[in-house]
Amino acid sequence: MILKFFASVRKEAILMLRDKAGLAILFVMPMALILIMTLLQDNTFKALEENKIEILLVNKDSGTLGKAIHKGLTEADFFQITDKLEDDTLTEKSAYKKVASGAYQMAIVIPEGATDYIQQVVTHKINTQLPGLQEPVEEDTKIDLTKGVNVKIFFDPVTKNSFKQSVHSALKEFTSKIEAEMAFNIYGKLFKDMFEIEVQQPESFSSIITFTEEYATNLNSKIIPNSVQHNVPAWTLFAMFFIVIPLAGNIIKERESGNVLRLKTMPGSYTAVLLGKLSIYLIICIIQAALMIAIGVYILPLFGLPSLMLGTNLFALFIIVLAAALAATGFGVAIGSIATSHDQASIFGAVSTVILAALGGIWVPVFIMPEVMQQISILSPLNWALNGFYDIFLRDSGTLDIMPYVIKLMIFCIVSIGVSYFYNKFNRSIS
Amino acid sequence: MSNRSYIEVENISKIYPGADIFAVKDLSLSIDKGEIYGLLGPNGAGKTTTISILCSLLAQTTGNVYIDSTDLYANVNKIRKIIGVVPQDIALYPKLTAKENLMFFGNMYGIKGSLLKNKIHYYLEYFGLINKINKRIDTFSGGMKRRVNLIASILHKPEILFLDEPTVGIDVQSRNVIIEFLHELNKKGTTIVYTSHHMEEAQNLCSKIGIIDKGDIIAEGSPDQLLKKNCNCKNLEDVFLHLTGRQLRD
Repeated sequence: MILKFFASVRKEAILMLRDKAGLAILFVMPMALILIMTLLQDNTFKALEENKIEILLVNKDSGTLGKAIHKGLTEADFFQITDKLEDDTLTEKSAYKKVASGAYQMAIVIPEGATDYIQQVVTHKINTQLPGLQEPVEEDTKIDLTKGVNVKIFFDPVTKNSFKQSVHSALKEFTSKIEAEMAFNIYGKLFKDMFEIEVQQPESFSSIITFTEEYATNLNSKIIPNSVQHNVPAWTLFAMFFIVIPLAGNIIKERESGNVLRLKTMPGSYTAVLLGKLSIYLIICIIQAALMIAIGVYILPLFGLPSLMLGTNLFALFIIVLAAALAATGFGVAIGSIATSHDQASIFGAVSTVILAALGGIWVPVFIMPEVMQQISILSPLNWALNGFYDIFLRDSGTLDIMPYVIKLMIFCIVSIGVSYFYNKFNRSIS
Repeated sequence: MSNRSYIEVENISKIYPGADIFAVKDLSLSIDKGEIYGLLGPNGAGKTTTISILCSLLAQTTGNVYIDSTDLYANVNKIRKIIGVVPQDIALYPKLTAKENLMFFGNMYGIKGSLLKNKIHYYLEYFGLINKINKRIDTFSGGMKRRVNLIASILHKPEILFLDEPTVGIDVQSRNVIIEFLHELNKKGTTIVYTSHHMEEAQNLCSKIGIIDKGDIIAEGSPDQLLKKNCNCKNLEDVFLHLTGRQLRD
């Protein structure tokens, strides 16, 4: 049994090393895939995160509101404000046309006298709140409270809702701040008149409540996910599962050449031969994973990408790689046993791997999939393995934490080999 | 039990799943120890199915097979230790060298180390392939592949050697060396069961011949006995055509 096993390992290793094209497919192509996909997706992320929204600002208001909005939008990281065109013809109408033509994503028009109107409304409200005053704080002119200040926003139809929401939120924040400042000024004046107390206006009306963002991880790890953190494990798994094609092909070729028949007429179990074959493919999967991870750590930074952060549990990483490798090779054995030709195995192997990868969140992360697809995604072994990687890389999880994924992958491997065993058993009376 | 021949096939039938007709039907034959038995028949007659059952690759649907008085089906592993099988196809790894292939198959029979190396050298020398020992099989001619295909099945010195058309598609010289070797092997006590379409070859090689058609043995005996039973026939080919007919079999 042991002699058979090692003879099989040696034979498979020699065959593998002599198959240069096969090795290129197994190692070079996944490396290229990781590099290209990470660069592509990193640029997409950058486009989302770093490209500023171009906004035309038509400020007809000469007061503080117009200035505050201008200042606030300019200081915000995600807007590019244009308040003057080259031909100096920026009006509400021309801004509308510019947006309509697609030259700008949006335009904001602050109406004339907006600040004055707000001032009057605030004054009116204070006077209403304090009816006992001998004299109003300021002259309460008759104003139309239903009119409001109508800041117009023109959107390009292709503008994303999230962008619209960002602008809305920013504008609401600025106007609220202005209203608060005005109310504070009026109350200050009132206090001075009534009690002769000089009220110092605060330097800033910045928010008292601040928000800080941090990704939740275990222990003290503070690893921030990025395109590298997603793409390296994702495409590593994709490459590992693509081993089903050469493995299934190998099994079929051995069967078609008559070698399996010869081997089955020999004493002892054929299982030792099969285990030897599996061991080599398992080792290849692990080397693949090690190489891909090394690329994430050492090569991707050379292309201006962030380095892959491995977390702190390298043993857990090895366990999830091993489990994924077992699942991939088990799947390969099942396809190799059931398929009747090399072509059939290649097509089924490739298509099934692509489908499992798509479902598993390799191409599109699961969290942005529709709800139904998110439910389906949990059926993919690539999803289990990817979640294991995420847990180790992003949440600093240990071996016990990833066990649910490891167990699922092992069950998948056992079921695959079981299917292969029983299929062979029912198709061959003596084995 | 002691009345049985060395290989005793009793009324075996085989029907493949989904098939309408029997590949082998109620077939019986007996082969004595040290015999060279030729199983001849047209395409689709049931030769390969019979050989596959005898060498434990297929289980018969009904009937029994005894080898050395041992039930084959119940003692597969025991029987596999004493048989060698030369498949119809070149069952070798094309990207491995002759030595690597033979090392692998030798290990599969449990042979290793210098014993295995010596055997490999001996047989490659015998078959004129020693200078190709480190050449890959995919660079070999058809005849050379057939010779290595044979060596891979005899490394463990089997008591019974099954050969399924071992000389198909090869040159006269290669065929000659294979047939001579089989004679020599048989003289040393190896029982040989062999299928072929070469009637002349079978007539010269075999001590006993069974002609199979439509899944059953229709004639059996030594080449001389078969010729005597069919007295108008000049040679085995005439006997074969006389018994199986001249219509094409595809």
